[in-house]
Amino acid sequence: MATRARPWQLCSAGSAGAVALATSGAASAEGPGRPGQLQDETLGVASVPSQWRGVQGIRGKTKGCQTASIATAEACAQTQKHADAEVQTEAPVPAGVLPASQHDSPRLAAFLRRVEAIVIRELNKNWQSHAFDGFEVNWTEQQQTVTCLHTLGYPPAQGQGLHVTGVSWNTTGSVVACAYGRLDDGDWSTLRSFVCAWNLDRRSLNPRQPSVVVEVPSAVMSLAFHPTQPSHIAGGLYSGEVLVWDLSRPEDPLLWRTGLTDDTHTDPVYQVVWLPERRHSHRFQVLSVATDGKVLLWQGVGAGQLQLTRGFALVMQQLPRNTKLRKPHRGETEVGATAVAFSSFDPSLFVLGTEGGFPLKCSLAAEEAALTRMPASVPLRAPAQFTFSPHGGPVYSVSCSPFHRNLFLSAGTDGHVHLYSMLQAQPLTSLQLSHKYLFAVRWSPVRPLVFAAASGEGDVQLFDLQKSSQKPTVLIKQTQDESPVYCLEFNCQQTQLLAAGDAKGTVKVWQLSTEFTEQGPRETEDLDQLAAEVAI
Amino acid sequence: MAEVEETLKRIQSHKGVIGTMVVNAEGIPIRTTLDNSTTVQYAGLLHQLTMKAKSTVRDIDPQNDLTFLRIRSKKHEIMVAPDKEYLLIVIQNPCE
Repeated sequence: MATRARPWQLCSAGSAGAVALATSGAASAEGPGRPGQLQDETLGVASVPSQWRGVQGIRGKTKGCQTASIATAEACAQTQKHADAEVQTEAPVPAGVLPASQHDSPRLAAFLRRVEAIVIRELNKNWQSHAFDGFEVNWTEQQQTVTCLHTLGYPPAQGQGLHVTGVSWNTTGSVVACAYGRLDDGDWSTLRSFVCAWNLDRRSLNPRQPSVVVEVPSAVMSLAFHPTQPSHIAGGLYSGEVLVWDLSRPEDPLLWRTGLTDDTHTDPVYQVVWLPERRHSHRFQVLSVATDGKVLLWQGVGAGQLQLTRGFALVMQQLPRNTKLRKPHRGETEVGATAVAFSSFDPSLFVLGTEGGFPLKCSLAAEEAALTRMPASVPLRAPAQFTFSPHGGPVYSVSCSPFHRNLFLSAGTDGHVHLYSMLQAQPLTSLQLSHKYLFAVRWSPVRPLVFAAASGEGDVQLFDLQKSSQKPTVLIKQTQDESPVYCLEFNCQQTQLLAAGDAKGTVKVWQLSTEFTEQGPRETEDLDQLAAEVAI
Repeated sequence: MAEVEETLKRIQSHKGVIGTMVVNAEGIPIRTTLDNSTTVQYAGLLHQLTMKAKSTVRDIDPQNDLTFLRIRSKKHEIMVAPDKEYLLIVIQNPCE
């Protein structure tokens, strides 16, 4: 209760510092010092000096640095003279055989006299020798079984329940593209579909994520890659249009389209193929076949438009009458075409598969006008020259042999594969491969006697006519629940690969065993023998 | 002349012979029974191979020399009879 302020002393434990609480005198006069009165007092500032600094002290040093001086020197350079030069590759001049010159003959004759005896002796020895019987050399690693290398799919398309309707390998053999659509829709559909491409040579290949996806307004029924440009691909749509895309431009892939003009097909386009032009064989045109009976040849002109250059129409009355066909219903005049295959030996000859089940031999050079009232900007011609005997149902796929000019295969919905020769209407052999439909058949590009067929029972059957002509050599099960396999293509560059697309929306790339990829010694002769079994 | 043609015809008509050709020292074909592009291909390639084979034999033993070259492949056999000025190439399909 004392009113006089007293100095306080604070002692902190272990510290040498002393704290002083300074007080100033009472600001106001003490006043009468009457006890019990409240007065204002001003207390001073309390300061607490740092103890740490006092202990450590400040250690300071002064240092300096200086960069060493930079050495510089000056020099000049100037080009004195230059020359321009151009380089241009020329087309290779084909080397020719020297014509027989007269003054060479005596020396040539003397040479031949010298070597003839030894050559004849070796030829004879060779003909009788058994030294190399059964001697086989394997340069590549042998693969004994067929394995599935990749299973590719595009989940948004699979989620919509779309089927793979077409596969195609590009010209370098490293990109496989597939088309999504539906093969069992009966009427017009506005289903959006996709064209997806995977680059199998990339290390970061993701089977669920294609490297390119193109959205298409209508279902795509077939695909074909350009024969020399690795990124151009043509597709035939359900709406009858034909589109060409450039897959190297992801932001705007559409190159050319037919549009919906009077020329376009009015029915789904079942197959598209690329053909070299007649005069400039490095430029290509697109041929499309559809069930409205028209076979049209398109050329890409500027501004993204495909223009019709030549057209053919199949009319029932103009089909060659060499085979007895069932009488057409009244009013049914068009013959729907469902498949096309060009001969590798004669570029103007092609085989059409039709809805009526009979393959037709046709020619691009046909001149006769077609009796059809379908409007077109170019005159439509009738291409059919020969009618082959029919299958029990529509033909969905034809394939011409790359090794023999007269042989081709056709596969139909009756489950049979027919091997035809161009020279006769009856098939050479008929094999029943399935109890359901057959959707695709293709000759192997390396083995003359091997072909593959895709069936509605979910398997891919590989036939080797050298081993057995009755049953398939290898049966590859593609789908587990027997949903059909709709399309297959061999890879012409990497000949051991085969791609097949099925109704579940997956594309499987199969690696074939070595027996399917290496040609044996006498296969071409065996094929010739097979083709020669034409009935007289 | 006639003798040259007859000799070549005799060789060509032998059992299994697919093609015959005569190539000069620069690798240019002089006579042939095959088509142009195949001939040019065979001539160029086999001329180089024959020179290589000849130098191989000479390197191993300088007293030795190449008399005949045979290449057997899966589909047929190629026989080359070399000389100072010309090469005779015969392709035969041996019986298998």
